[in-house]
Amino acid sequence: MNAFLTSRPVSDILTGVTNGVVYALVALSLVLIWRSARLLNFAQGAMAMIATYVGFVAIAPHANYWVAMVVSIVAGCLIGALTERGLVRWLYGKPELNPVVAMVGFLLVLESVAAAIWSTSSRGLPSSFSPIDWQLGGRPLALSPFAAYEIVTALLVMGFIAGLFRFTKLGLRLRAAALAPEVSRLLGVRVNRMLTIGWVLSSGVGAVTAVLVASNYFTGLTPTAMDGVFAFGFIAAAIGGLDSPGGALASGVTLGIVLQFVSDYVNANDVILVALGLLIVSLMVRPNGVFTRDAQRRV
Amino acid sequence: MRARLAVAVAFVAGVVATALLARARVAIVLVVCEALFAALAALWVSPTWRAAHPVATRLAQTVMTVDALGVVSAFVSTSVNGNLEAGVSMTIVLLGLSFLTGSSGQISLGHGAFMGVGAFAAAIWANHHAHSPIVIALLAAVVAGAAVGFLLGLPATRLRGPYLAGMTLAFAVAFGSILNAFSSWTGGDSGLQLPTAVSAPRWLVDLLPPSDSPLAAATVWLSQISLVVAGVALFAMSNLFASRVGRSMRLVRDHDVAAELAGVSLPRARVVAFVISAAYAALGGALSTLVNNSVSPATYGFALSITILALMVIGGIGTIPGAMIGGLIFAYSTSSISWITARLGLNPQGNLASQLNGIIFGVLLVGAIVAAPMGIAGAGRQLARRWRERHHLRAN
Repeated sequence: MNAFLTSRPVSDILTGVTNGVVYALVALSLVLIWRSARLLNFAQGAMAMIATYVGFVAIAPHANYWVAMVVSIVAGCLIGALTERGLVRWLYGKPELNPVVAMVGFLLVLESVAAAIWSTSSRGLPSSFSPIDWQLGGRPLALSPFAAYEIVTALLVMGFIAGLFRFTKLGLRLRAAALAPEVSRLLGVRVNRMLTIGWVLSSGVGAVTAVLVASNYFTGLTPTAMDGVFAFGFIAAAIGGLDSPGGALASGVTLGIVLQFVSDYVNANDVILVALGLLIVSLMVRPNGVFTRDAQRRV
Repeated sequence: MRARLAVAVAFVAGVVATALLARARVAIVLVVCEALFAALAALWVSPTWRAAHPVATRLAQTVMTVDALGVVSAFVSTSVNGNLEAGVSMTIVLLGLSFLTGSSGQISLGHGAFMGVGAFAAAIWANHHAHSPIVIALLAAVVAGAAVGFLLGLPATRLRGPYLAGMTLAFAVAFGSILNAFSSWTGGDSGLQLPTAVSAPRWLVDLLPPSDSPLAAATVWLSQISLVVAGVALFAMSNLFASRVGRSMRLVRDHDVAAELAGVSLPRARVVAFVISAAYAALGGALSTLVNNSVSPATYGFALSITILALMVIGGIGTIPGAMIGGLIFAYSTSSISWITARLGLNPQGNLASQLNGIIFGVLLVGAIVAAPMGIAGAGRQLARRWRERHHLRAN
């Protein structure tokens, strides 16, 4: 049993899941906004990165890890609300390329401002989990306390979002506002407020993701820390379908596992190449995502 | 009419000045060429001629622009020439992106990487065929760019805006790894050096005043090459915008269902737009490689792609003047930002000064797309129309 758990394929799966839950969180965060506003938030990673800087460097530099994390999440939610009210509101009803351009511009502003304030050098976050793998019968299991913390946190966040959407009145309103805004407005749902709440939730998820990414001993927190993660998260969301939260999570974890196998058996440098190839092929075969039911586009 | 006449007269005056200043025997050839251009400029003044010969009109406009800038480049300093070359390469890239967005309504966040494809293709070609003419290296870059554009454009047959944007973003992020995967060709992190620097031909060295250093002649020569290449690209693009292909693509952009009903093949139109756009970006990248004499992968990161997007939006999407304005902004962005840094009294090595470029471009990009989506060219066109209307009213 021990030999099996520490074997090469199982190690790859474990490492892949650890990476994959992060991609899944980014994908979830993108799907939350795409479903309500039909907007792909290219600044998602940068907004989350700013939230982490605010929590861990600006407001609570010497505080306990968990306090700083809560501050980061609150900051993330605030940034989401401000972005929706201050920037995105101007873009509703415009040609679909305008929000893309605006969010890319916003990404550039956020990363440059972060680098101007906090410099581009990497900072470690004081997470209390060891990045050293557990040992099993004298051989390393590809799972460390830190990886377990990542997976558990991601599952908690996913569970929270799923529960919110499925079991609460707010979740019902959010779904209604996303699916049929005009009808919901007639039935008394404040659609604009629901849009803001969607951004708050998405940015909160993003903040948790960025804290997890930056807590990693090897990467740390930099203004561009989320760029690569965002690319993988977008690829996962696009493969799974931007309309399907479950699909985004499943394809995020799957992507993590597949890429870990590529990294282990082929070459670590080729990971992004394979991801790009997967994206191109999957978009050609199923343009709306693997997990989305086919729907006729409204003209 | 009066404005056009003024431009043509100024042009002819410039031609005469060049003829008087040129000293070598080869100058006679130049004078003949300039006289032909001046005749073209004279024809261009006539509205009936312009209406009857649209292609020749575009040729005349391109030739006059290129020739005027070419003459200017012989009289300005090395640093201004360097700016000119950078701006011209960027104008070509922007023409490509502008065609993609303005004509077919797609967007690319990976044009920096397409530029890199061209830059590396030209450098690899030059390293394997040290004595082949520049034109061949540029063509190799165009072919490479078109091929990569085709590959990435394939999903565009079935995709719409934001998905495609995300895919090109993934390409831009992956570009460094792609270069690394072919490091035996691309030289890995250190990039490539061209085997021989582009040097000025004998006649140009003779033509310039002897006080100028040989470096200056080489700079002028690089400017001239860049300008001629840009002229060809500009002429082709202005015809393409007006052609059947351009018109069908604008129909795709405005109403894809209507376009399909009118017999336009959507997948084909989208892929063709992508291929042309990538080829233009590659040409711009190759040109900048020739000018810089080397190519490094760090140049072609994601930041460059965003900068290109910003330049296009600020200049004006889908217009040729917009691309030129974008090129001009790019050419002077570095020096303007160091001027601002000095004015504000910032430490040039400090965090804020090094990020000023990104902050300014980002703010301008967001501001432009929210407040003036047609950019400077669109705003200028609107102003000109308003002015003309008022003028017209007074005349009546």
